[in-house]
Amino acid sequence: MNRNHRDGSSNVGEDELARLLAARRLSRRELLHRAAILGAGLTLAPIAAACTAGASPTPVPATPTPAPATTAPTGAATAPPTPVPSPTPVPTPEAELNVYNWDYYIGENTVSSFQDKYGIKVTYDRFPDYETMTAKISTGNSGFDVTFPTGLDVPGFLARGLVQPLDLSLIPNKVNLGADWQNPAYDPGNAHSMPYMWWTTGFAYDTEKITDDLTSWAALWDERWKKKMAMLDDYRETFAVALMRLGYSVNTTSDAELDEALALLQKQNPLLRMYTSDDVGELKAGNVWLSHAWSGSAYAASQDRPSLRYVIPTEGGVRGSDTMVVLANAPHPIAAHLFINHMLDAEVSAANTNYIGYMGPNEAAKAFIDPSILANPTVNPDKAAIDRLVEEVDLGADLEKYSSRFVTLKSGA
Amino acid sequence: MGRDRTRDAALLLPGMAWLVVFFAVPLAIIFVVSLGTRDQYGGVILDTLGPRNYARALEPDFLPTVANSLRYATLTTVLTIVISYPIAYWISRYGGHHKLLLLVLVMLPFWTSWVIRTYAWMIILGDSGVLNGILGSLGVVDEPIMLLNTDLAVVLGMTYGFLPFAILPLYVSIDRLDPALVAAARDLYASGRAAFWHVTLPLTMPGIIAAAILTFIPAIGDFVTPDLLGGAQTMTIAKVIQMLFLSSRDWPFGAALGFLLIVVTVVATVGTLRILRREVIG
Repeated sequence: MNRNHRDGSSNVGEDELARLLAARRLSRRELLHRAAILGAGLTLAPIAAACTAGASPTPVPATPTPAPATTAPTGAATAPPTPVPSPTPVPTPEAELNVYNWDYYIGENTVSSFQDKYGIKVTYDRFPDYETMTAKISTGNSGFDVTFPTGLDVPGFLARGLVQPLDLSLIPNKVNLGADWQNPAYDPGNAHSMPYMWWTTGFAYDTEKITDDLTSWAALWDERWKKKMAMLDDYRETFAVALMRLGYSVNTTSDAELDEALALLQKQNPLLRMYTSDDVGELKAGNVWLSHAWSGSAYAASQDRPSLRYVIPTEGGVRGSDTMVVLANAPHPIAAHLFINHMLDAEVSAANTNYIGYMGPNEAAKAFIDPSILANPTVNPDKAAIDRLVEEVDLGADLEKYSSRFVTLKSGA
Repeated sequence: MGRDRTRDAALLLPGMAWLVVFFAVPLAIIFVVSLGTRDQYGGVILDTLGPRNYARALEPDFLPTVANSLRYATLTTVLTIVISYPIAYWISRYGGHHKLLLLVLVMLPFWTSWVIRTYAWMIILGDSGVLNGILGSLGVVDEPIMLLNTDLAVVLGMTYGFLPFAILPLYVSIDRLDPALVAAARDLYASGRAAFWHVTLPLTMPGIIAAAILTFIPAIGDFVTPDLLGGAQTMTIAKVIQMLFLSSRDWPFGAALGFLLIVVTVVATVGTLRILRREVIG
């Protein structure tokens, strides 16, 4: 597999593989809901985290390590910018690495190719839902080196001292990032995080049940689909929809605007069947015909049910991203940097995208991404749609204005 | 004498230690957290303790969800006892040599995870689910009827889940009832029905109370069933608490609501027990 990539023979074999994998491909969001239920009991268990950390396998005898920072990204031949080999001496990486990521959110061979390349033993652990991850990481001694917060949460992680600054000299593959991602607003200069994947939030509907050409968020207030509609069980996303309909910023902290948004959502509540995290699961089960949805799960579901259509509405949609960070108390910080660098390798990044169906911020990777994914507007929206996207930013203490109103909304008061 | 007393006290130690470590201490932690405030990233600040979260909890915002929780828990308890009493009665009276087997069958569902069994109900009740499929093919309904994400689904799911908890105490109490007492009532010309109402039912009341408590308390705290089988209008107080802890990350307020729920549940349970003990047993 890895060899195939290097040979550049990414045609026939890979297409077949992609088809085979599509059957098994599951969006992480789909798992989120059921896992949240199971995970709830675990959130207060830093013990579990300690166990995970303690269960690391015995150190692999230090293999002769290739000088990592001078290893040019394998995709460099085709990638436009060529990384400059670092002149500074490279610190010796640790023999182990503990990675904590979403389930089903990495290429099939990404971890093994990293292990083979550097001789570092990776303990790869998965979190079922975001709350479990933040709860474990918040203890500060989770034993993990690398985890994947959303870009939205990077400022919060930073403020709480949970992540350490990145040594960019160990991440030469940063040059592979597209211009948009070189200096993201949530983390200027990528000083503490590297972008991993991005997605959009719009809505998805079953064209077998709804034959109208839906383009506006107003569809989710349409009486014709009463009790056949769902909104995401996420207060930022759900309020963003109402705010976009009202023409306000999705990051507003104005109580008056948020009250208006709440009133609009309260008008919608009786028409809804549910607030869900399993947006496309409910669409696939036929319980709803139209749902507020994440692009990644919509893409995964459209593989099983081609009649599902994903829309970034005319009023706008939300763009979100996941990042990779090195935790403040990471036991293996050098290996963590090498792993992040590996993830930004053009071919590795493309292999991740090809497997999970999310677009990465990696410009150099585009040459290796399955053409059918590049051509899919759900995963890779066109310029016009991208121009309609807005990003949520960290609101600090004002976040409570959203979460408390969401409790009010769902309580039916 | 003195040595005996020391020994008796020593026998209590493991149980007391258990209670302190796993009940009293966590409860105290919940209470202390409930007096604090949250920082902007969901941490808990304990600098200025005060009852502010309780004042917020008593605002009318949460009345609809409390009412919902009480409604679901009450309906579930009544339904569970009405269904499980005949089952327990039948196993005890007619189970014969198979009593043990039948009781094992009652507990069999525990071999599968609660969440997975609730997912099974989602498959049964969904719009393109098993039940709608059967009704559709029989021509009973043209369009799928909405069963999932309704009040009915929540009560059904909880009743199904808590049935074994009710059957076991009912079985114990019915099985311990001396059949000679019922026979005596019949000898004194009580009809079968009268013997049941005046002898069997009052004498098995402790079992019914135990079953009711074992159903009502988990039902009022259950957030899995309302979450999976409920919909946009089936919010319960337990789900609000879950939301506050997990997504809003407002632990102090969640702790206050949780503490209130514990207090209300304990007071209601103890009160009910006292009244019933006076009326029924005493």
